[in-house]
Amino acid sequence: MDFGVELFRYSKSIYGGQSQMIGASFDLLPWFAAAGVAFILLHAAFKLVAGKAAHKKQEQ
Amino acid sequence: MADSSSTPDVQQKVLRHTLADRLYHWLMALCVFVLLGTAFLPILGIKFEWVDIHWMTGVVLAALVLVHIVRALFFQDWRSMVIDGADIRDMARGVVPGAETGKPGKYNGLQKLFHLGVAIFVLGIIVSGLLMLLKIDTPFWRRNPYWFGNDTWGYIYAVHGLFAMAMVTMIVIHIYFALRPDEWHLTRSMLRGWITRKEYQEHHDQSRWKI
Repeated sequence: MDFGVELFRYSKSIYGGQSQMIGASFDLLPWFAAAGVAFILLHAAFKLVAGKAAHKKQEQ
Repeated sequence: MADSSSTPDVQQKVLRHTLADRLYHWLMALCVFVLLGTAFLPILGIKFEWVDIHWMTGVVLAALVLVHIVRALFFQDWRSMVIDGADIRDMARGVVPGAETGKPGKYNGLQKLFHLGVAIFVLGIIVSGLLMLLKIDTPFWRRNPYWFGNDTWGYIYAVHGLFAMAMVTMIVIHIYFALRPDEWHLTRSMLRGWITRKEYQEHHDQSRWKI
């Protein structure tokens, strides 16, 4: 799957025109922030389900 | 233990974080925000002279982390931050809604896992950042970019960048937990140092966190 995001930044070497990795791609920054938001949503959803399960257990 | 109804309020508090630990936490937070701001704001289009602020703050963070490591290893109970079998069992049970889990010691398994993640990322950023200082002139040394070949510099920059972006994820998660109402007592303890004895009894296994 192509998300159109490079993992690394590359530059052409001045000596041979060879492509060289020069660091991480900062296009990934929104993805890292989104990973944090995704964790929050998953955790909040889980807490909701777990809370309901605990409530049900108490009623029984 | 004294009768709680007659004990003065001050005796009802359990010290969780000493002043030194809280200062370390908030100074580290300040450094991390300055470092992320000076690193990523120019990339997001907000241009300013960021290099000097960035490397100087990085050196301050490295010094803070060094002090923290020495304190944690030699003057504190570093075992309280090590993930043990009970933590793994509780984390595994914790993913099943409604499953019974034991009470944690001073820190629960997820907090220890978070600390481990932050430790790995911050140490990786500090080591790569200190190496990157070789590429800039400072009042203390002249730049010498020939210590490493271009390939090695590429890896050093990649680690620095990837781990810095991973810290964005960690901070989002950390702030989320700090703001959750069921974690407010822990957030308060990072501000004021203490939790109440009731919170200690409710949330912690007293045999795993002895006070």
